[in-house]
Amino acid sequence: MRRVFLGLLVIAVLAWLGWSWTRGRRVAPPPTSGPTDSTAVGVKALRLYFGAANGDSLVTESREILEPSGLHDRVEALVAELDRGPRGRGVAVLPAGTSVLRVFVDDAGLMTLDLSGAFRQRFRGGSSAEYLAIASLMRTIGANVPEAKTVLIICAGRPIPTLGGHLPLDRPLEISDWP
Amino acid sequence: MNHRGLSVGLLFTLVLGVLGADWRQPPPGEGPDTAPVHQIEGRPCIAVDDLARLLDATKFWRADVRRLVLRSGTHTVVLTADNPFVVVDERTLWLGAPVRSREGELQVPVALVDSLPSDSTLVRLTYDSRRARVVVLPTSGRVESPRWMVQGDLTRIVFPADHADEAVVVARARAHFRLRFGGIFMGELPDEAPPGSHVRAIRSIAASGGSAFECEIASGAAGYRLIQDPARRRVTLEIAGAPADGFEAFAPESPPGERRLKVVVIDPGHGGSDAGVIAGPAVEKDLTLSLAKRVGAEIAQSGVRAVLTRSDDRDLSSEERAEIANRLGADLVLAIHFDGFVDPHARGATAYCPPALVTEPERAGDAGRGADREAAAPAGAPGRVSLLPWRDVSTRHAVQSRAFAEALLSALELSGQGPTRLRERLPYDLLGVNAPGVVLECATLTAPDDRERVMQEEGLKQLAVSIADAVGAYQRNR
Repeated sequence: MRRVFLGLLVIAVLAWLGWSWTRGRRVAPPPTSGPTDSTAVGVKALRLYFGAANGDSLVTESREILEPSGLHDRVEALVAELDRGPRGRGVAVLPAGTSVLRVFVDDAGLMTLDLSGAFRQRFRGGSSAEYLAIASLMRTIGANVPEAKTVLIICAGRPIPTLGGHLPLDRPLEISDWP
Repeated sequence: MNHRGLSVGLLFTLVLGVLGADWRQPPPGEGPDTAPVHQIEGRPCIAVDDLARLLDATKFWRADVRRLVLRSGTHTVVLTADNPFVVVDERTLWLGAPVRSREGELQVPVALVDSLPSDSTLVRLTYDSRRARVVVLPTSGRVESPRWMVQGDLTRIVFPADHADEAVVVARARAHFRLRFGGIFMGELPDEAPPGSHVRAIRSIAASGGSAFECEIASGAAGYRLIQDPARRRVTLEIAGAPADGFEAFAPESPPGERRLKVVVIDPGHGGSDAGVIAGPAVEKDLTLSLAKRVGAEIAQSGVRAVLTRSDDRDLSSEERAEIANRLGADLVLAIHFDGFVDPHARGATAYCPPALVTEPERAGDAGRGADREAAAPAGAPGRVSLLPWRDVSTRHAVQSRAFAEALLSALELSGQGPTRLRERLPYDLLGVNAPGVVLECATLTAPDDRERVMQEEGLKQLAVSIADAVGAYQRNR
């Protein structure tokens, strides 16, 4: 009889321990930090275009950044993200270190985009590198700055005839020409 | 021998083995991968020496029993003179006709090649009855006889192909619409088009390392679509009579007939302080000049005057290049470049040609010169004067330029110097050039294979011949 009692006691203790353990797992600890409050800081989704590794075309990537306050900040952020390069497949095609110095869009949708000297000085490669660098810039601006219809690319405050000697940049480029 | 002595001995043997090994790859195009077939007593036969060469086999001859053993890797083929039976890896096969001895060499019925083991240790052979040759099948396999059918306003040509994903359209003009496959063609082409077909004729054309076909498309056809179906091992070319979603337009064309070429200007890109792309030992400005000289010599052989914008290493502005072409009254301008990209996977050739910036009625209103008039709207069509900046003057020759670009890319693809791509965008080198023109990036120097090819004498020569062929095709315009 005593043995039976002891056996039942052991089973009861084990059952209680098991119940306590599973209950403890079910009850989540109080949250130490809540989800990001989207109303506190605006988050803007960007669509970026990078070069395909085979040099044929562009590949697209979505990325979220803190919402820029104005046109300059928006375009500056786009170029900065292009300069950082892709997180997925694809390759960065904008010359390394390129940044935005000034940007202006007139009523007709002509964007004058003044890029830093690195855009021209650090360009390396042939026509495919040049074509995709410009295409990456144009497609990214087209996807994220709807008010821009044409883009005149200048460098360090001055017009440039070409980036690498293969495509002319002396005139504004139509965004719709870069599908 | 102690352990130290054994180790030194093993190391010595290993070094000798490494030094003695032949690491060289055979240059592309040098591989003897076909052999002729002869008729012996009315049966197609292959000479045993050719068979051994194709199979990379070693021969062992036993004169007493007139028996020849071919050994290739783990496989053996036992042939006996005047005997229709062969033993392949312990399997006895009947060839339908005996192995014959002719002029001291055994002649083997080609029925054998289809009975050889099909595993990765032995090359795959096949008998091409059309060319009367035994052929080593490439890894891309074969392309078989197409089926040609008309369904309403749609013409469909279905090619059975082992590697359907390798099919590509390499020329988009109706008069010479070209398809290229990785596999070799082992079938027959239909003699006649079915009634109502938008494809008038199809023929096989030469292609390096695969097969290619040229179709003649009716002028009423609106677009084409190429459907690759690797799972079902087939490629379907669809030609539609009316514009439809998913169909691509054909290249704009001028009327057929010979184009008179008197002067072709060849412009070697970069030069002087502008080296262009530098990749390892390859310097673009030197390669463009070397290739331009070769292209000029090739073109001159056909009686056309070829003029280079520079014949030495010096700076030349785009305005100076344009002025040379315009002063000479060039009928055609080819700017030669080599490409470079940030990723070594990018390879092949790219052609840039000016886009058409003006509509056809506007073009008719222009006082066009020379070759461009053939691309203009019909005489008497209502026209209006439009102003075109001199900078964009090459866009007036957009149709001719596109035709030349198509001819160049097709020649490069068919000679195995692709992949190729076409970009219709006004290139810097053609600003102010009043003639049909193309900027051709002949290869990509940052791609190791491309670079190695063009750094060799033979590679540049092959490029020059292909470009000269394209000039000839453009001139013939058929």
